[in-house]
Amino acid sequence: MSEIVLSVEKVVKQFTGLRAVGGADGLSFSVRRGDFLGLIGPNGAGKSTTFNLISGVLKPTEGKVSLNGTDLSGLRAQEIAGMGLGRTFQTPRAFPSLGVLDNIMVGAQNPNEGPITALLGSWRGGDAKLRERAESSLERVGLIDRRHDLVANLSGGELRMLEVARQLIRAPRILLLDEPTAGVDPSLQVRLTGLLRDLHEAGTTLIVVEHNLTFLFDLADRIVVLQNGGLLAEGEPEAVRRDPVVVSAYLGSENEA
Amino acid sequence: MTFSSLILTTLTFGAMFSVLTLSLNLQYARGGMINFGTVAYFASGAYAYAIFTQDPPSGLDQYAFGLGLPWYVGFLAAGVASLLFALITGWPTLRLRGEYLALTTFAFAEVLHSFLLNERRIGNGSVGLSNVERPDPALIGVNDMLAYAIAAVALMLMTAFFFHRLLNSPFGRTVDAVHDDETAAQAIGKDGARIRLQVFVLSAIPIGFAGALYAMITTLVAPAMFTAELTFFVWIALALGGQKTILGAILGTLALVFFQEAVGAIPFESVRAAQIAASVEEVVTGILFIIVLRWQPWERFSRRTKA
Amino acid sequence: MTLFLQFFLTGIVTGSFLILATIGFSFTRRVEGFLNIAHAELLGVSAFTTWGLNVLLGWHVVAAAIAGIVFTAFLGLAIGRIVYDPIRRLGPSVLLITSVGVAYAIGGTVDALVGTGIRTLDIPLATSYRFAGLRITDYQMIVVAFAVIATGALALFLNKTSMGLAIRAISANPELAASRGIDVKSTSRITWLISSGLAGLAGVMLAVVATLSTDIAFHQILQILAVAILAGLGSLYAVIAAGLIVGVAMDVSVFWIPAGYRPLIAFAVVILVLLFRPEGLAGRKSR
Repeated sequence: MSEIVLSVEKVVKQFTGLRAVGGADGLSFSVRRGDFLGLIGPNGAGKSTTFNLISGVLKPTEGKVSLNGTDLSGLRAQEIAGMGLGRTFQTPRAFPSLGVLDNIMVGAQNPNEGPITALLGSWRGGDAKLRERAESSLERVGLIDRRHDLVANLSGGELRMLEVARQLIRAPRILLLDEPTAGVDPSLQVRLTGLLRDLHEAGTTLIVVEHNLTFLFDLADRIVVLQNGGLLAEGEPEAVRRDPVVVSAYLGSENEA
Repeated sequence: MTFSSLILTTLTFGAMFSVLTLSLNLQYARGGMINFGTVAYFASGAYAYAIFTQDPPSGLDQYAFGLGLPWYVGFLAAGVASLLFALITGWPTLRLRGEYLALTTFAFAEVLHSFLLNERRIGNGSVGLSNVERPDPALIGVNDMLAYAIAAVALMLMTAFFFHRLLNSPFGRTVDAVHDDETAAQAIGKDGARIRLQVFVLSAIPIGFAGALYAMITTLVAPAMFTAELTFFVWIALALGGQKTILGAILGTLALVFFQEAVGAIPFESVRAAQIAASVEEVVTGILFIIVLRWQPWERFSRRTKA
Repeated sequence: MTLFLQFFLTGIVTGSFLILATIGFSFTRRVEGFLNIAHAELLGVSAFTTWGLNVLLGWHVVAAAIAGIVFTAFLGLAIGRIVYDPIRRLGPSVLLITSVGVAYAIGGTVDALVGTGIRTLDIPLATSYRFAGLRITDYQMIVVAFAVIATGALALFLNKTSMGLAIRAISANPELAASRGIDVKSTSRITWLISSGLAGLAGVMLAVVATLSTDIAFHQILQILAVAILAGLGSLYAVIAAGLIVGVAMDVSVFWIPAGYRPLIAFAVVILVLLFRPEGLAGRKSR
């Protein structure tokens, strides 16, 4: 069994009047290296908030999050990203000032990114290689034909794939995907399934929030179910699918399986 | 003032102030930072130049520092002074957004102004330093006004060139990304505060050089020359020219300088008439600013779509 | 020690003036949502209108003052509706930058009409009163009195009248207030009238205790900003406290540092507050 790469320990996130994450005792779960973890739950369960707590966009009110054994408490989001953690957002975030290809190129960890290098102009050689890598990322998500396009011309589903491609070029060791299939048409979804399988096989740790349970249960090793910010159930997909507690939680709200 | 000297003056001061407008363009349009303290970097440069080139104090002089160095050392010192001032005032404040950054930059500029006004030991307080050393174009047989006009245009072109180079690069991509969506930029490891500081400090350096040039042209540095009015002048020039392009920043500045120089050149019959003209100019500029802001911003004040 | 107390006393007067000058500004910030740099210029408008009526037309100073205040109130309202309302959707940053243009336009107009030079109101010389070794003039006491009256009246208005409650609702949460049926438009108008009227009152006070020159309005803006930022987005009481703190700090500082640096206190307040406690005394994070 591989070592634990991400550990969420008794984490609570309290907003004024709302305990978004934490449940009764604080939220706790862990993820091992190479795992494919699915994170599900009805709307408002705290899934995206949990992602925000892991990636550093929000700080926990109580409890701690550790990545590779390092406590993330004092770290800022960009530092956590620098540790090899990638994420996409519930509403896809692209950079409208940049074209599609540039949106990917900006994602890479680029030693030629500094201002002095810019003034000297010594980034040109590296940029050519970077362009190739960006194009191959776009190819993997099926957007290679749109590489010269403006972000404004992309559909919601395509923007989602753009975000994924931007993370691919960074080759993160652990990747958090927030509702990657929302608004994505079936053909792209097939491609996404293949892509996630490849990543899983290559050893990337994956945590995926999804409402599309058919898509998710096919791929994930383990499922964690949240409700009202707390852990409702966890286990292998089939076990969770049949768990009566989970079924009633879902039947109480919308289920888009 | 003859027409040709009006053109020459417009060109000289227009090019010189364009450097400030270009910096503002970089800081606001690309970096998303509202800087209401631009005049302070200009003043730092001008005073640094004057202090480095001024002969050491003697006799009745009130100022304490004068290093008597050649003009090119002074020029470099001006850039460094501006850089340092930007670094010191930028580092703690750039995490503030929007209006609050505007206020702190404004406050810092006023602090500097107050300091220069009150501390006699630095450049004679309100009196300032006069007879500032400057290279003499007559030595190479060139007309004085023309030479400095060329120098100003050269500085402007170099600034435009370096800014263009800075932004058409991976660094430029990162700056745009951070400006567009800082949270998403953080998710790919970009440090917004650090990027903004880099932009802020680098864009301040040419302002320092422009300050040195100003001191050379006028052979005088005094606090009254460096007031918040100058900062807002540059803002209005930026708005008039539209911020999408470097060319816009330059044209807007030239137009505004021409307007002011032209009004100043009209021979008024009384002091009062001249004052009224200056006031009307102020009103017109203000109204123009309001109009431009209302009808242009979504096009000009945010560099959203890239062709 | 007596000297220190004297400075403290004048600090209270300065603070009272700052309170008057800043409440309106704070009001606009809370209800309209942006920092209106042009607010300071309204002090100049009121001061010079009062001066014009009093000195040039020979009106009694009280009548001139009332006319000046009313005029300023309606001018502020007009500007609010013509200039700021149409661009509110562009966000507080653009509104802030636009207010610089408005400040230029107003300042330039005042300059053009009044010209340079020092002006004073045609009023009797100040009478000094002494007590416990300290001095205060009748005009200074009037400033303090007006500050007390104005804040008291405003507090009553905000807490006891339906319009006042509407204003508080909007400043707490504009969308919620609008959806609850509060008439945002007329509330906005009342806000402009009140805040500009208060600026008018502050301008009159300025004319009474100080000598007027056309750049006087601009010098006030930084002090107003200091008080507003120190007070934060919160209540009237925060503005009172902040005004007194800044006023006293500025005047007492003369005890230790050269008088020329007095305005520096205001700048230092702005910088320190924004760096260390941006939400100010009131303590609420910005909406």
